[in-house]
Amino acid sequence: MELTQDQLIKLYTLMVRTRKCDELIVNALKSGKAIGFFHSGQGSEAVPIGACTFNLRDDDYLYPHHRGHGIGYMLARGLSPKPFVASHMGRVAQDVEGPTARERGIHGGSGTIGASFVLSAGMGITAKKNGKNQITACFFGDGSANRGTLHEAMNLASVWKLPIVWVCENNLYAQYMPLKDSMAREDIADLASGYNMPGVIVDGQDVLAVHEAVKAAVDRARAGEGPSLVECKTYRYRGHSEGGPDISHYEPRPAKELEEWKKRDPIKLFRENLLQQGVLTDADVERIDKEIEAEAETLEKYADECPIPKPEDPSVLDRLLYAE
Amino acid sequence: MKQTIYLMAIREALDEELQRDDKVFILGEDVQQGTFGTTTGLVDKFGPERIMDTPLAETAVAGAAIGAAQAGFRPVADMMFGDFMYIAGDEIMLKAAKWRFLHGGKVNVPVVIMAAVGGGMKLGAEHSMIPEAMIMHTPGLKLAVPSTPYDAKGLLKTAIRDDNPVVFFYHKGLLGLPGEIPEDEYLIPFGQADVKREGSDVTVVATSAMVQQSLAVAEQIKDKVSVEIVDPRTLEPFDLDTIIESVKKTGRVVIVDEDTKRCGITAEIGMQIMENGFDYLDAPIQRVAAANMPIAAGFMEEHVLPQPKNIAGAIEAVMA
Repeated sequence: MELTQDQLIKLYTLMVRTRKCDELIVNALKSGKAIGFFHSGQGSEAVPIGACTFNLRDDDYLYPHHRGHGIGYMLARGLSPKPFVASHMGRVAQDVEGPTARERGIHGGSGTIGASFVLSAGMGITAKKNGKNQITACFFGDGSANRGTLHEAMNLASVWKLPIVWVCENNLYAQYMPLKDSMAREDIADLASGYNMPGVIVDGQDVLAVHEAVKAAVDRARAGEGPSLVECKTYRYRGHSEGGPDISHYEPRPAKELEEWKKRDPIKLFRENLLQQGVLTDADVERIDKEIEAEAETLEKYADECPIPKPEDPSVLDRLLYAE
Repeated sequence: MKQTIYLMAIREALDEELQRDDKVFILGEDVQQGTFGTTTGLVDKFGPERIMDTPLAETAVAGAAIGAAQAGFRPVADMMFGDFMYIAGDEIMLKAAKWRFLHGGKVNVPVVIMAAVGGGMKLGAEHSMIPEAMIMHTPGLKLAVPSTPYDAKGLLKTAIRDDNPVVFFYHKGLLGLPGEIPEDEYLIPFGQADVKREGSDVTVVATSAMVQQSLAVAEQIKDKVSVEIVDPRTLEPFDLDTIIESVKKTGRVVIVDEDTKRCGITAEIGMQIMENGFDYLDAPIQRVAAANMPIAAGFMEEHVLPQPKNIAGAIEAVMA
């Protein structure tokens, strides 16, 4: 099924919003407003948006990749960005409208990389047992592709024909480690043959290509034919973690590499495509940019007004530890 | 009441809960056959879709169970040996234990991780552990350590119905232990210690197979010392009150445990008694636990794991 003009514009808008929310946190960390870690996903917006916006049902399960701390996945699934922005400022989101992460099957945000493989296998078992043609989409990076959990989970999923779509956001670096020095092969999609499942490589800068490849894998999983692997070749513009070095091993990443990838920026590519097709006009692009700029300003002000948690009653934390 | 043995009581608990709730399923390596008999035969009644033989992949066994629990099922992951839980450390100690907490209480993880534990079978360093301290140390995990058929059945049924992750350790040395259980359904609430033997001279706190060993020692020395034996039954939640009540009566404490002595549960329980019951003590607390080394294989095992003579010796020392 071809995407409608409205759907194309939605994909574009979501990518721009994802980029803007990511920039918001990067800037807030610089100004001292945000706290903790942030692992930017700038440059790879086409992966979560292309994969998740029109291919998943509300009752599907989704384990996001950690880049951008999941903002692309949240926006693609119709969640408000308020909790994302507020929590990065250490604040408790107020008046959140729209569905919750749970209501859109979004699980995780793991502090350890590669845990999502085996947890997703469990979600796949659940999806199969429920008998409602649900699927599980598990996103991971090139770094976690070296974890043993990948092997255990992909093998199990294939043996049991679990309805799982494994999507690799291959941005070529695991923290400071370049893929070429950490994996015995160039293409992660090659792993699929070891588990007797389809593995495809897709241009991760092309949101429509990601959409199509993931759609085929989702359709296959929903039809009960088992898991598939989709490898999206992409790049991250920023260093591993804000405030940390932007390096390959211990030396700066090659400037030319970033330059080349930015020529194929996913937002720029899709904008040019839509302008060329006449789906968007220059005026539309300007309007969308302004709207999203305004949204970001509103979000930042909103976060400033959200309360910092003050657990005067220490039982607040106790109540989180165990269910009654 | 009816006669049964420890492993049958476990199987009966699983059977009843599988029957009661179709969200319950078991997965693990060779659970259809059942390495220790605890799951044997369940596949005939519930089918391979609910008694799931997995590949040899402990991380996937625990991880998949935890993922399915997050999505609303009540899986029982059989890790076979307790030692093998270390392979799935991220899944059990981080994901199962922490994810309700770090997801703001919005995700429950109602999983049971069960494993055969303990020594006595001369199976060597990586098939003989009872890693109680590791689990009791980890906030977010509950831990049941039954010492009788009655406790095993009642605690396992409670574990499966709990909305939190529960580790259930069944002791290999107790599998054939006979005992009585009610004909009718029963559950044992967590956090309620059981006085396994009443006495007035010394309180022995023991778990799992050490309860049985302590009972045997108490019987042997009954003409000399009146031993009270308190079995916490669950280490998290932990019923300190019953222990303190016993200490008020006896004034003397021996803690017996099969896990490693250093930073083991004997250290934790001993300190809790010091903090909350020091005034009732008439003598320094004695403890008996495994030596601070790997569990040696074969006949050397008894030089590492606590033996009846060690328990008798500790009781003698605390009475001196």
